[in-house]
Amino acid sequence: MVKYESIFITDPAATDDEVAGFLKGFEDSISAGSGKVLKVERWGKRRLAYRVGRHEDGNYTLLKLECPPAAARELERRYRMNDRIIKYLTVRLDKDLPEVPLAQAAPAAETPAESSEKE
Amino acid sequence: MDSRDRDRTKKKQFRKKFLFRKKKFCKFCEEKIPYIDYKDVRLLQGFTPERGKIFPRRISGTCAKHQRELMQAIKRARNIALLPFTAD
Repeated sequence: MVKYESIFITDPAATDDEVAGFLKGFEDSISAGSGKVLKVERWGKRRLAYRVGRHEDGNYTLLKLECPPAAARELERRYRMNDRIIKYLTVRLDKDLPEVPLAQAAPAAETPAESSEKE
Repeated sequence: MDSRDRDRTKKKQFRKKFLFRKKKFCKFCEEKIPYIDYKDVRLLQGFTPERGKIFPRRISGTCAKHQRELMQAIKRARNIALLPFTAD
């Protein structure tokens, strides 16, 4: 069992229910691969730092999981097949890393304004 | 003789300037940040000035170990569109 952290960005046009549906599918696939989801964090819509395809913003969802590598590979395969997902990143968490409080308070609300300011 | 004297004063001035420069320190060692998180956009933004490049160690004073971790974190953040690759 390895710990992973996986983020995927969905098309902001996808409804919340749609994303919830994807999430359910992902969770099922992970538990089918004898892993478990430790945490789900939905960051909501935020501005992308650069344009991805034709998208300027995206809906971020973070998953923390503990599963065998095969299940993580399956998850990524599912990401790739889903055309609502515009980008994803899976990272292995090495040692047991402590939770680091982020310097940002509310990622969903604050950052879009900030990044548009920068541009 | 004259030019040598000038040279010496120049050297002195240079040393003075250098000596009184504020000592650089590694932010991560100082604040005992255990792990540089790629999701922490605020933190990383401090190390990617205007153009979005990674601030060099020579200027920021970050220690080698933390610069490596920082680089990794910034590159991950770029991958997931939290930070820009370039900005102009």
